[in-house]
Amino acid sequence: MRFLQALRYFCREAAVNLLRSWKVSLLAVLTIAVSLFLGGAFLLVSGNLAASVERWRGEMRAVIYLKPDTPEAELRRLAAEAGRQPGVKSVETVTPAAARRRFQQIFPGLADLVAGWQDEPLPASLEVGLDPAAGAPARSAWLDGWRRRPEVTLVDDDREWLGQLETVVAVVRTVGLALVAGLLGAAIFTIASVIRLTAYLHHEEISVMRLVGSTEFFIRGPFYVEGLLQGLLGGLVASGALWGVYQLLHARGRGSLVSAVLVLDFLKPQEVGFLILLGGAAGLFGAVASLRREAL
Amino acid sequence: MIQFFHVSKRYPGGQSALDDITFDIPRGQFVFLTGASGAGKTTLLRLIFREEVPSAGQILVNGRNVASIPQSKIPYLRRTIGVVFQDFRLIARKTVFENVTYLPRLLGVDLQGQKKLAYQSLRRVGLAHRLNAFPPELSGGEQQRVAIARALINEPDILIADEPTGNLDPDLSREILRLFLEVNLRGTTVILATHDRDTIQRVGRRVITLDRGAVVLDQELVGTDPPALDLLAGTGPDPEPPPEGEGGAG
Ligand SMILES: Nc1ncnc2c1ncn2[C@@H]1O[C@H](COP(=O)(O)OP(=O)(O)OP(=O)(O)O)[C@@H](O)[C@H]1O
Ligand SMILES: [Mg+2]
Repeated sequence: MRFLQALRYFCREAAVNLLRSWKVSLLAVLTIAVSLFLGGAFLLVSGNLAASVERWRGEMRAVIYLKPDTPEAELRRLAAEAGRQPGVKSVETVTPAAARRRFQQIFPGLADLVAGWQDEPLPASLEVGLDPAAGAPARSAWLDGWRRRPEVTLVDDDREWLGQLETVVAVVRTVGLALVAGLLGAAIFTIASVIRLTAYLHHEEISVMRLVGSTEFFIRGPFYVEGLLQGLLGGLVASGALWGVYQLLHARGRGSLVSAVLVLDFLKPQEVGFLILLGGAAGLFGAVASLRREAL
Repeated sequence: MIQFFHVSKRYPGGQSALDDITFDIPRGQFVFLTGASGAGKTTLLRLIFREEVPSAGQILVNGRNVASIPQSKIPYLRRTIGVVFQDFRLIARKTVFENVTYLPRLLGVDLQGQKKLAYQSLRRVGLAHRLNAFPPELSGGEQQRVAIARALINEPDILIADEPTGNLDPDLSREILRLFLEVNLRGTTVILATHDRDTIQRVGRRVITLDRGAVVLDQELVGTDPPALDLLAGTGPDPEPPPEGEGGAG
């Protein structure tokens, strides 16, 4: 009960202080919001990217391109052979005509490019669906076997660039983490400065409170709550801004690769909660750091 | 209640402010502390509530060694001591109500209780109607009385007042003095620093005289002004009416 009463008093004092020096408070809230916004953006992008990689991994394919003059019977024979290999989920034959139609469908603007040729411009291919659970070395060896065949011109293996994409995700995460850590440090510093300024404006009152018998807890409480509030506000602002930007990109880029890969899903509720709490923790930390014994 | 044993105080980089002070103030005593400006009155008072630490010697307040209590226990010492500072130390951007209720607030008294205490305390100094004013809106004497109300709000064991009547006209001054005597009658130990020899002569009581940091005189005086003493007889449930027998003053 006493503690709750003290907490109420802390909150009221903190709110009054925030409003009284709203300009510097706003600055503190905004710095923390900027760093958390960027942190959230990295979380969003890398999360979606990782999810995409995971999805693609589930539908991993290799495409075996054949020489242009491969007869259709040979195509079917090779498809049957590939289908017998363990770890192969499906084999689809794509004839040159089918390849052309598909090209014209996907890139309608470039349809002319493949039309009106005497021969089909695109080669026949086998699209092999691979089981991601099957061992990677065996799969590589098998695909290498195909590469050496005379009737094959090119084997395009998803796995290679998926691996590269995973590296990209890892790099994005690391860079994001480092950047956010730096920005968060700056935000903590800002909050600490603002709190110290507030404490300085109150030094007379603080000394009177000490002389009438206030405990340090009672004196510092309002400042701790002030830092906490600034941090939480920063987290809320950051989450709100992130949500707004997400909506904008999502709506504008519907169906585009960017929105499909990078801004498909918003952060999970617990991730948003984490962002806000991180703000609060940073604010509290700033307040505690700024009010070490000597400083007050 | 308050014991000084060979206490000296030297401010950093300054000369000696107090030199080998020894005295014993029993519970419930009323003591005047007097001496020329710079004699060390304020310094002595500050040592009692541990705003300063002695350079040498021991100070016992309520049986506790003030110089050596841990930092975390200081607030509990101070809550038993009401202090009227020479410079008031009111917070300009807080109302009179907020200024006088620091202690009850931190003791967890609810708002209703705080209001009651503030009203009672301010009424004793005749300022109950200025509850919502800010200190800069008050005269020097009114500010001084707010400082007194703050010191009295929690019925302290010890009341320390540093020149509490310095800014008051003679009538008000007498009234405040009467208030202190009355508080003393209820059991509070009172130490009052003052230059005002007339008051001391009139009221009597124990007088400790400082000169350049040393106790030069420690005597019991008998008051010369019976009417001033009669004031005490008038202490009842209502301390408001102006002093009687003062030839129609007030
Ligand atoms: N914070 C301080 N730092 C250094 N010296 C101080 C400090 N406070 C007081 N002094 C010195 O200590 C001596 C005693 O000062 P003190 O304030 O106790 O005198 P006082 O009796 O209260 O005087 P007054 O009647 O003018 O209030 C003076 O010489 C003063 O200059
Ligand atoms: Mg003084």
